[in-house]
Amino acid sequence: MSEVGLRLVPDRGPGDVDTLMGLVARGDRTAFEALYDALSSPVYGLARRVVRDPARAEDVTQEVFLEVWRQAARFDRDRGRAKTWIMTITHRRAVDAVRRSESHRRQEDRAVTDEVVTEDPSERMIATEEHDAVRTCMETLTDLQLESVRLAYFNGYTYNEVATLLDKPLPTIKTRMRDGLIRLRDCLGGHR
Amino acid sequence: MSTDLHTLSGAYALHALSDEERAMFARHLEECEACRDEVREFEEVVGRMGAGEADVPPVSLRARVMTAVDQHPQLPPRVPPIERARSRRWTTRLTVAAAAAVLVIAGAIGVAELQGDQGSTVPSAGVAQVFHAPDARIETVPTSNGGRLRVALSEESGRMAVRTDALRRLARDRVYQLWAVHNGRATSVGVVHDLATGKVMPIPASGTTVAITVEPAGGSPQPTGKPIVSVDPSAV
Repeated sequence: MSEVGLRLVPDRGPGDVDTLMGLVARGDRTAFEALYDALSSPVYGLARRVVRDPARAEDVTQEVFLEVWRQAARFDRDRGRAKTWIMTITHRRAVDAVRRSESHRRQEDRAVTDEVVTEDPSERMIATEEHDAVRTCMETLTDLQLESVRLAYFNGYTYNEVATLLDKPLPTIKTRMRDGLIRLRDCLGGHR
Repeated sequence: MSTDLHTLSGAYALHALSDEERAMFARHLEECEACRDEVREFEEVVGRMGAGEADVPPVSLRARVMTAVDQHPQLPPRVPPIERARSRRWTTRLTVAAAAAVLVIAGAIGVAELQGDQGSTVPSAGVAQVFHAPDARIETVPTSNGGRLRVALSEESGRMAVRTDALRRLARDRVYQLWAVHNGRATSVGVVHDLATGKVMPIPASGTTVAITVEPAGGSPQPTGKPIVSVDPSAV
């Protein structure tokens, strides 16, 4: 949708992430440093939110930027913005890290619901416009949509695990996740 | 594909599927443009949600990342290295192969596994799994007859997969056949019965290229024509 508009009228200043990505794809180390400076906070912040442990969040951040550097020439611009691509890599790696380390605990201990639900998401965040827009839009979700999306995205649970945690049928959780994201998408479309 | 599967798009974008479901949905994505669009939009949405968590990393991390980067070369862009590989490897090696004694190294490249592929959805999931492995390296390679072959390698799982759905359709009495070519010897890796299915195989040993030829229905013991495409896995 608006993605197309973004590409037709791109914000291509020298520090623009997509521009930097194009330079990094050609091996430009200076551009890579600028890319790191532009995105290390969102990458590290998301990694830390998911894996929780700051040292492991640093490891994930390093893995992400290394992958970005290695794969830069293969980044497919037609598939979306560079920032989205990098955040997708970050989330995937953070979730992988958390699943690797927590798989044992989770198999044996399903009583993590309390810890998860009572966690205050605003604790460690730094104020950003992005955050304000996202927070405003998250308020438009139903409780179950919000909880499903948050448990999956910020805690790295599979939708199966989310269903168990919230004691709801699988299809319900599956559709709540999708409906929640549709609502977020439509709301954020007006908060660009 | 069922609408039921389509509703997994949210869980997929949230990385909330099991590995098996993820692979299954990834395969569905390749066939469903509307789903791809939706996932793309969702990825942007969750990316913004993630960016909302921005938190300044320790200053020392920057130097660590730069040091790591200096120790790792960038991967080449997708098409050119393969083009080089095709002209170089195949011409020097397979022309020799035609004259060489036929050495069947069945098993070396998982022939049995490949033949077990046909007609079930499981191997397709296997193909998708390689394409969506966290460490997957993916190439799209043009073929000499105007199609495209997509190749994915995952070092972690030790697997290589090809998607054959963008290959040109053939006449009824012809099939595509995959070959592992090493030191001038071609070993059949299997016949592609259904272009939609693709193939998954262990990553061949270094110095082995994977090539595809057009053969009479049923396949041939040795290639009867020039390959339409040849891939050097180490260049993917």
